Amino acid sequence: MKSCSGKTVPPPPLPLEHPSAMSQPIEHQFNPYSDNGGTILGIAGEDFAVLAGDTRHTTDYSINSRSESKVFDVGDGIVISANGFAADSTALVKRFRNSLKWYHFNENEKRLSLSAAARNIQHLLYGKRFFPYYVHTIIAGLDEEGKGAVYSFDPVGSYEREQCRAGGAAASLIMPFLDNQVNFKNQYVPGTGEKRPITYLSVEEVVKLVRDSFTSATERHIHVGDGLEILIVTKDGVRREYHELKRD
Amino acid sequence: MAGLSFDNYQRNAFLASKTHSNLPKATSTGTTIVGVKFHNGVVIAADTRSTQGPIVADKNCAKLHRISPRIWCAGAGTAADTEAVTQLIGSNVELHSLYAKRQPRVVTALQMLKQHLFKYQGHIGAYLIVAGTDPTGAHLFSVQAHGSTDVGFYLSLGSGSLAAMAVLESNWKEDLSKEEAIKLASDAIQAGIWNDLGSGSNVDLCVMETGKDAEYLRNYITPNVREAKQKSYKFERGTTAVLKEKIIDICEVEEEQVLVV
Amino acid sequence: MFLTRSEYDRGVSTFSPEGRLFQVEYSLEAIKLGSTAIGITTSEGVVLGVEKRATSPLLESDSIEKIVEIDRHIGCAMSGLTADARSMIEHARTSAITHDLYYDENIKVESLTQSVCDLALRFGEGAAGEERLMSRPFGVALLIAGYDADDGYQLYHAEPSGTFYRYNAKAIGSGSEGAQSELQNEWHSSLNMRDAEVLTLKILKQVMEEKLDQNNVQLCCITKDGGFEIYDNKKTGEIIKLLKEKEEEEKTQQEQDQQQGEDVEMS
Repeated sequence: MKSCSGKTVPPPPLPLEHPSAMSQPIEHQFNPYSDNGGTILGIAGEDFAVLAGDTRHTTDYSINSRSESKVFDVGDGIVISANGFAADSTALVKRFRNSLKWYHFNENEKRLSLSAAARNIQHLLYGKRFFPYYVHTIIAGLDEEGKGAVYSFDPVGSYEREQCRAGGAAASLIMPFLDNQVNFKNQYVPGTGEKRPITYLSVEEVVKLVRDSFTSATERHIHVGDGLEILIVTKDGVRREYHELKRD
Repeated sequence: MAGLSFDNYQRNAFLASKTHSNLPKATSTGTTIVGVKFHNGVVIAADTRSTQGPIVADKNCAKLHRISPRIWCAGAGTAADTEAVTQLIGSNVELHSLYAKRQPRVVTALQMLKQHLFKYQGHIGAYLIVAGTDPTGAHLFSVQAHGSTDVGFYLSLGSGSLAAMAVLESNWKEDLSKEEAIKLASDAIQAGIWNDLGSGSNVDLCVMETGKDAEYLRNYITPNVREAKQKSYKFERGTTAVLKEKIIDICEVEEEQVLVV
Repeated sequence: MFLTRSEYDRGVSTFSPEGRLFQVEYSLEAIKLGSTAIGITTSEGVVLGVEKRATSPLLESDSIEKIVEIDRHIGCAMSGLTADARSMIEHARTSAITHDLYYDENIKVESLTQSVCDLALRFGEGAAGEERLMSRPFGVALLIAGYDADDGYQLYHAEPSGTFYRYNAKAIGSGSEGAQSELQNEWHSSLNMRDAEVLTLKILKQVMEEKLDQNNVQLCCITKDGGFEIYDNKKTGEIIKLLKEKEEEEKTQQEQDQQQGEDVEMS
């Protein structure tokens, strides 16, 4: 093969990891996991907490559903969402609901506190340490003092109480925004050089941040969109808000 | 020197196997493009989303490329390849038309494209719908990255091609009018926009009628305008603090009085 | 015996024609042979007290352990075959710690008691196919005292039959009959911890054969802030002293009353 200048174009060499180059057998394996996209977000306020998620359910480039809820009110003022592999999310939430029911039976209808729920979920997740639930889990509610609380978990149960946390597909897009707008990171009081002090945000303000987070994530992440479901926990119970998101 | 350089191919393959393969990825395979012929012309259309993995890189990119004034091309695949190959063939078509003293023909562009792509054995990831009008009439073709070509009255390509083809197969008929063809093409693109995650935002369109100049309708339909944000994110002046200040004198400045007479 | 009880006192899980499980009933008899244990709840905490019956003057009384900690917020006193209580206590401690592990909170006193009572029935096979753990029912009863945020201070009596009841004050063991009627007379909802401690010792003193001192009784309490606490000999001694003072007071009061009565008669 010749090019115009008369030099030969070398054929592209085989990549080193190519099976025929390594002369190794190709191993075929069943992959038990898939990624169903979507994103979730929890924020704790002074006397409330919100947990929001989009309602798009995807695999690869396809939309399976535009209206699949993934944030659930399980009772006792606890809302939960597990984002990632939807089958594992369903299984985890189901097992937690079951666990909550048994807790009520065994503990004489005692209300499960959010901290107890968090510890319980840790054991549900860690119980599958070597075949994990492929999910990023967030729960929200009120603590024993009535203050808003959010707990987030990694797939194998490491957990922490936080002021806010984004999970799932667009977590890396939303989290820096939250750092700046909820915890006022990188913000200073003009003219003083002092860090802007952290103050509690009102529920109205938090819902605005949540909606802007999701419309923005919808703009730039293909697995986010269709609908936004927000569950708001206060001492009076759990309230639901729904807003349309772009469908492209 | 013509041709592509494979100098770093082996090195990059080695690096990919050694490191955690965080090597940069070329933009976008997700796209919906279509072409539809009508009684005295042809129309092509495309969505305007460009992606890098799951991230939208450009919300309003142009996927319709001009090869010659009356030959246009819709590109899917690696963005850089569709643009480069389209410009290269565009230049060569113009040179050829000057040399032959004839209007450029769609088949010429198609032949040049397929020969070029075949030479590179699919490494140039360009998947194109080539359409246009010339003295022999209106034409509609598609080319694959490996060099194969197809002819058709209606065609679709890209990750949204299945969604688009569903619309084309159900609504296409013989002897469409110009308006019907435009409607069909833009409906097909919208099927991709709504149902394929690799496609989104707006519809670009180009209508080529025999004996007339091509009509390029950029953002023919914009069904995805972003709603107003809930909150303003303007920061008070001084929110970004000056933490450190250091002034370096790069050169000595000598000041002197100059008397102007 | 053989004639009256027939064959039905052999199998631990065989009903007699009258619908009785003799082995379980006998196990309750075993408790009546045990030393007396008393529990009293107040609004400030719960007090447990036991009699330490020394079978020999050479016995080290410190080695008799009839009050044990289950968790920081739960304590337990026993009467009967105290060796049987070892496995119950171990089960109770496991339940309490496991609950803390799974829920990051204190187990409720009622749940803990329920869990111990579940074990008490394992002399037979379980309905869900659980294996038989013991050859006979337990020969010991427990007084489980504790605090939780939901139900406050609580006292439970757990029997070998697997049943349990909550009490304001309860006595078990050999002196339980007399002690329980005394508790019924003396208990009221406004008792404080000091009252409860003195009352415990007063009743123990009444039902014990030996003369009460700090070596042959043991006390403990459970409070919200202090948790479970066993009283040492010194603290027990102080309460005994207090009891004596109170008795003296009552005695002189009684004498005065008598005197006054006589005076009235005279006039």
